Amino acid sequence: MAITETRPETVTEHVNPWDTGEIYPSFAQTIGSGDHKTLGRLYVGLALIFGVAAWALTALSSANGVPDDGFLPDDAVFQVYTSGRVTLVLLAVLPLLIGLATYVVPLQVGASTVAFPRAAAAALWTWLVGAVMILAGYATNGGPGGGGRNAVDLTYLGMAAAIVALLLATVCVLTTIVTLRTPGMSLDRVPLFSWSMFVGGSLWMLTLPGLLANLTLVYLDHHYGLPSDFGMADGQWPQLSWAFGQPQVFAYAIPVLGVIGDLVTTMAGTRQRRRGLVLVGTGLLGVLSFGVYAQPFFNEQVREQALYVGTGVLVLLPLLLCFSAWATTMSVRPRITAASIAGLGAALGLLAGGLASALFVIEPLRLQETSAFADGLLVLVVGSTALGGLAGLLFWAPKIWGRFAGEGAGKLAALAGIGGVFLGGLPLCVLGFATRFDALADAEAALLAVAALGGVLLLLATVLTAVALLTARRGDTVAADAWGTGQTLEWLAPSPPPPGNFGQLPVVSSPEPLLDSAETEEAA
Amino acid sequence: MAALARALPAPPVQRPRVLMIGTAFATAGTLMYFVTLLAVYLERRAEALASGDVWLPEGVEVPLTQPNVMLFTLIASAVTIQWAVWAISRDDRLNTYLSLGLTIVFGVAFINMASYLYTIMQFDIGANPQSVLVYAITGGHLVMLVVAMIFTGLMAFRALGGQQSSRQHDGISAAALFWHANVVVFAVIWYAIYVTK
Repeated sequence: MAITETRPETVTEHVNPWDTGEIYPSFAQTIGSGDHKTLGRLYVGLALIFGVAAWALTALSSANGVPDDGFLPDDAVFQVYTSGRVTLVLLAVLPLLIGLATYVVPLQVGASTVAFPRAAAAALWTWLVGAVMILAGYATNGGPGGGGRNAVDLTYLGMAAAIVALLLATVCVLTTIVTLRTPGMSLDRVPLFSWSMFVGGSLWMLTLPGLLANLTLVYLDHHYGLPSDFGMADGQWPQLSWAFGQPQVFAYAIPVLGVIGDLVTTMAGTRQRRRGLVLVGTGLLGVLSFGVYAQPFFNEQVREQALYVGTGVLVLLPLLLCFSAWATTMSVRPRITAASIAGLGAALGLLAGGLASALFVIEPLRLQETSAFADGLLVLVVGSTALGGLAGLLFWAPKIWGRFAGEGAGKLAALAGIGGVFLGGLPLCVLGFATRFDALADAEAALLAVAALGGVLLLLATVLTAVALLTARRGDTVAADAWGTGQTLEWLAPSPPPPGNFGQLPVVSSPEPLLDSAETEEAA
Repeated sequence: MAALARALPAPPVQRPRVLMIGTAFATAGTLMYFVTLLAVYLERRAEALASGDVWLPEGVEVPLTQPNVMLFTLIASAVTIQWAVWAISRDDRLNTYLSLGLTIVFGVAFINMASYLYTIMQFDIGANPQSVLVYAITGGHLVMLVVAMIFTGLMAFRALGGQQSSRQHDGISAAALFWHANVVVFAVIWYAIYVTK
């Protein structure tokens, strides 16, 4: 008993495995790493690859409607449609933002690591296994409503694994923001991207478990011979579709507000004016985008209820609050870079998505009778989110890779992305009015062709961003504050940061600590 | 003065409660999972009753004795895990080990009773619509309990290794938080599924 009654005098000192100084093969270093920078890079790389597949599937789904009888086999049309959405959200956009956050957030809050680095690594690899299961399931006639029984089950297990992994990664990022902030950095002083991840990640924690619950019911019912209606072929997707519709899609876009905010202040070289509006706007978008209750499969009247209609219209308000604050900040002439063009495109796309949301919930417009308008809304919002993620990559490229991304390829990517968001989303929104205007129904093929072109442009934007990042490896190495006007702590660390990220950090006394120190030096 | 300084306990370690906050986020997500499942269950049950049908199919018996015992077992486990937090915050290591061990024993007893309940309910998962919901919810809760037991066991080993003390007992507090959430989830399941049937 003596051993247990007394606390051991010597407690084993915890040593991060990547800090031991031992030399492992680079492959082992990568797959065994718990370093947030390595994990962030892996998320980003894989999300770009899956992003190409997602936009290809989305474009294919629209293009199939152009010829009278389509070119896809009848039994594959719906699978291509759903796989585009699942891949876009679970394998491309969310992982891209989580990857960016895993890399950037610890640097922004002045932490030496992400919270729970082993859990963050486990999340990445679990998500990748889930992604492979999803794609393998779809490739073998699975997915919602698919014909292969085992393949359908495999798809759902993969989706569940991916969601659990993304939630685990989100917990790591959220805990970093809450607990690992450097002294003096109160929650209202965190950089805008970290704040937006705090709001967005909290929303994901409260809504994605709902999708997991839906998946559990669909899987169990389907696996055990359909004793209920949860697993029926034509009922599976309607139970899951809330996660890809209004208002839930805005929950995925929240971190983009932070990307744009940090981008605007850095490119304008001035403090964020009316910063409180951006913080409140981001938080308000979080409240309004809580979408787990909006499940028409279980509550047919939900789209007629005041809560759904009200949040659908009000979603414009936080976007406008943020826009007004950015506009006043941008009155100082900002630098025009690939990142700022992409950020501007993402902001305009989100605004268009907010307008589409306000129209969608107005019942007399009958936009909910077909899926076209909802599909357009999805492309506008999720496309803008993807474009915002690409803007973040171009903006933080010097910090992540130590070199600026190729500006030419980056600008082309930004322009392709802007074109893709609007060409991919607006024609589908217009097609949604076909229930009221017969002439629009006659133009269906043309509108779908333009929407497919939009999907191709978004695919191209993803590829061009990857090219811009790959060409970054050839450029000159950059200083810690690569843009010269950085305001937040990530621009204090070397580019790319070494293990441990920082040396001794000063106590933070405002949201823009780098500007504080520059002003203090000038005054001295 | 020196004697007074020696008599005073060392102040708590000022460090962020990383594990506690992380567990709080994970617990919030877990609760939302059960909220969604229970919302679907109650909605389907209300639909069936409103249309004049009975909810549970004929031949299915859902006794209350076993769920009552399970609830009291978990309430007892909530007491024991809080006992562990109380003990470790006073550096009472013997009571810490005893209470953590008892908590895990209560968890095993709960699983034992749950498996017995499954056998006597005769609720074939593939036979009727209600069984999918009941097994999704109760099975999900069992998974949560197993995770809570693993978490608690891991913290017990860390306490044995000397990593938990009155100055730093974040791990045991975090395990207790998740365990209490698990008890709350079962209390709702007990009322929504086993009592109201």
